[in-house]
Amino acid sequence: MEFDFSPIADNWRFFAGGLGVTVALSIISAVTSILAGLFIALLRLYGPGWLRPVLVFYIDSMRAIPVLVVLVWIYFAVPLITGMSFPPFWAALLALTLHIAAYAAEVIRAGIESIRPGQTRAALALGMSRAQLLRKVLLPQATIRMLPAFGSILTIAIKDTAIATVIAVPELMHRAETVAGQSYRPVEVFTAVMLAYFCILFPVTRLVDRLYQRVAHMGRS
Amino acid sequence: MNFDWSVIWTHRSALLEGAALTVGLTVLTMLLAVPGGIVLALMRLSSNKLARSASLAFVEFFRNLPLILVIYWAFYVMPMAFNVQFSPITTALVALVLNVSAYNAETFRAGINSIRKGQMEAALAIGMSRRQAMFKVVIPQAARRILPVIASTWVSLFKDTSLVSVIAVGELAYTAMQIRAQTFRVLEMLTAMAALYWLMGYPQAKLVDWIHRKYGVKE
Repeated sequence: MEFDFSPIADNWRFFAGGLGVTVALSIISAVTSILAGLFIALLRLYGPGWLRPVLVFYIDSMRAIPVLVVLVWIYFAVPLITGMSFPPFWAALLALTLHIAAYAAEVIRAGIESIRPGQTRAALALGMSRAQLLRKVLLPQATIRMLPAFGSILTIAIKDTAIATVIAVPELMHRAETVAGQSYRPVEVFTAVMLAYFCILFPVTRLVDRLYQRVAHMGRS
Repeated sequence: MNFDWSVIWTHRSALLEGAALTVGLTVLTMLLAVPGGIVLALMRLSSNKLARSASLAFVEFFRNLPLILVIYWAFYVMPMAFNVQFSPITTALVALVLNVSAYNAETFRAGINSIRKGQMEAALAIGMSRRQAMFKVVIPQAARRILPVIASTWVSLFKDTSLVSVIAVGELAYTAMQIRAQTFRVLEMLTAMAALYWLMGYPQAKLVDWIHRKYGVKE
């Protein structure tokens, strides 16, 4: 058995570009997911009553459907209905946000609900409005508790961007497939890319573990 | 724009077979990954340094990789390493078991660690061997705490089986996309695929919520 790692060395710029797309797509989709999740969580907690079952239905549906299915549906089926098509990158961003925002919404709702009701009552007794209560009392405390969970959302986003290869987003996974196919060296290429993914993900998960230990006792009232 | 939804009905048997394979893969993977996770967790908690670091390395490695990459990797590396051609289903099963075992190992380890030390000490004090104390005292208590987490992993696994479609395993996602390519009924087939996953996944997600409410650890 002989190994030839030259396809990786020869194409390092191509791989570096793919790595850039992976990092950009995962960070942007983690941020949009958390923002959308915050919006959904607030609507679920304080929005009109009729909206609640709709949001719960959305969240549970996203927990039931694989992200692959959401990706191909957004990319291939939505253009047929709306007549407008997205480039792969934007379709992937939309699909990942749609999927991960449901998880983020649950995390944020649990974070807000974990703040003792006494805090809410005290703030309202002081004459704060609901918006002030959220901005000055609930969200600052909840955010600290949710930090590790936000880190987990980032790791989920990084792993899920690899699935975007099925709609030909030129991220690391997709470029690995391309080079593996052209060079007939799939073992070397996929092994190298595996190490690359591990090197991105491992520090993030370590950081998340550290945050969990650090934050576990904080904000506990 | 005209849609022809009858294409779903004409291909119903293929779709149902795909769905059956999706469920079969989920069940089989879990059946293998639960013992796998237990072995890895016990290795991690053992006093043998080599076993401990081997388990740690395995778990951290597979938890920190996208599953789709592990699937591709298994597809190309396994035939080379063992010099035998494996069927796509075997390859898929290996990749899924590697991934889920790593997650299960963490679940079991955390569950066992969550049982107070005093339980183990008391069991040893009344003359049980370490093995007896582990299997008769610690693990039965830990099992109740582990169950909700395993249930969540189950639902993730059910969804993740869709990824093995990339190596042409004929489960639901692959079957639906094949029919899409043959009939050009893109919207209809993709919607049918999403609907079938939803029909199977939604009750499972609800069941998991119920298990969490019933058994979940409350602070």
